[in-house]
Amino acid sequence: MAEFKLPKNSVVQKGKIFKADADAKNVKSFKIYRWSPDDDENPRMDEFEVNLDDCGPMVLDALIHIKSKIDPTVTFRRSCREGICGSCAMNIDGTNTLACTKSIDDVKTECVNVNPLPHRPVVKDLIPDLNEMYAQYASIEPWLKADTPLPERERLQSPEDSDLLNGKNGHGPSACILCFCCSTACPSYWWNGDKYLGPAVLMQADRFISDTRDEATGERLDQLDDKFKLYRCHTIMNCTSTCPKGLNPAASIANIKRKLAERNA
Amino acid sequence: MSDKKHKSIISPLKAARGMGADKSGFHHWWMQRVTAIALIPLTIWFMFCAVGAIANASYDRALEWLSSPLHAVLMILYVIATLYHAALGLKVVIEDYVHKESLKIASIFFVNFACFAGAVASIYAVLLVSLKG
Repeated sequence: MAEFKLPKNSVVQKGKIFKADADAKNVKSFKIYRWSPDDDENPRMDEFEVNLDDCGPMVLDALIHIKSKIDPTVTFRRSCREGICGSCAMNIDGTNTLACTKSIDDVKTECVNVNPLPHRPVVKDLIPDLNEMYAQYASIEPWLKADTPLPERERLQSPEDSDLLNGKNGHGPSACILCFCCSTACPSYWWNGDKYLGPAVLMQADRFISDTRDEATGERLDQLDDKFKLYRCHTIMNCTSTCPKGLNPAASIANIKRKLAERNA
Repeated sequence: MSDKKHKSIISPLKAARGMGADKSGFHHWWMQRVTAIALIPLTIWFMFCAVGAIANASYDRALEWLSSPLHAVLMILYVIATLYHAALGLKVVIEDYVHKESLKIASIFFVNFACFAGAVASIYAVLLVSLKG
């Protein structure tokens, strides 16, 4: 059955509190999920008071501030700090987003709650295990398949064709950075993530199905015509509302369903 | 291996590919929508026409109403669309939340059987009334 209670060893405990310096005037506290595989302790929420006058504007800046100045054991992924690599995807203030593009000022609550992406095994602190999702990505064979021999120059697309991938506003499936905020926000993915591919991977499937240069459309649709892989999407739309890049994975899924209807109905 | 403790080490890619696509996804999705659309006019007919005609009618008058070929056929279509739609929808709910394979298969079988039996019984009843009249 779907589990509605955390296992005993996952119940989150109260953590330590790290006070800011007494002379700090502009203080915001951050509650951060902590769990380490190296001891037998339950996860806990540590509270860090951050002097915002000594820290950049984004949540990632605060995390880096905490790691460099308060507790070096706080563990998280980050790389580009400009919303293009997808490494720092985490749940901030109850919403999956990128720490680097989430402004601290946008969190109106007294305390900024920072958790790893939901419903994933945790590697450590804010790092979720995404191996299963990368494998699901590999399973849709995300590369161009064409039997037509390579032309002397590039395979041509009309501007309208490329709009199908990039979107007229630049928000098409090609703009996805695979941060998996959407898949880990999806209840269908929570309950059946081992079989349902999830919005992020389906959006990439759509990227190749909609690619006018790709000649394996039928084969790709065959691979998705499954009660779990594609049709476990019940149009809940959490994917689209949480996407930190403003993309629309739900529209991609609808497009795949439309293509299958066009073919099979 | 029949050993219950048998554990295997498989790659994440093998797990992700699983046994491949079952090719039933589209058909299920499509039939759920087809029955939903069919139910719009049929439910309006049922609410206003059938309930209106039978609710305050005498037993004989109700039998007479259902004996009309048009109403008998619409009633049979309504029963089929409703129970087919219900079976398809409940299957999805069970697949979403019941993860123990044996319980899942048993529940889906039970739902399908109950809906099918309900449809057969209803159609039999309508025909009985309609053909006798």
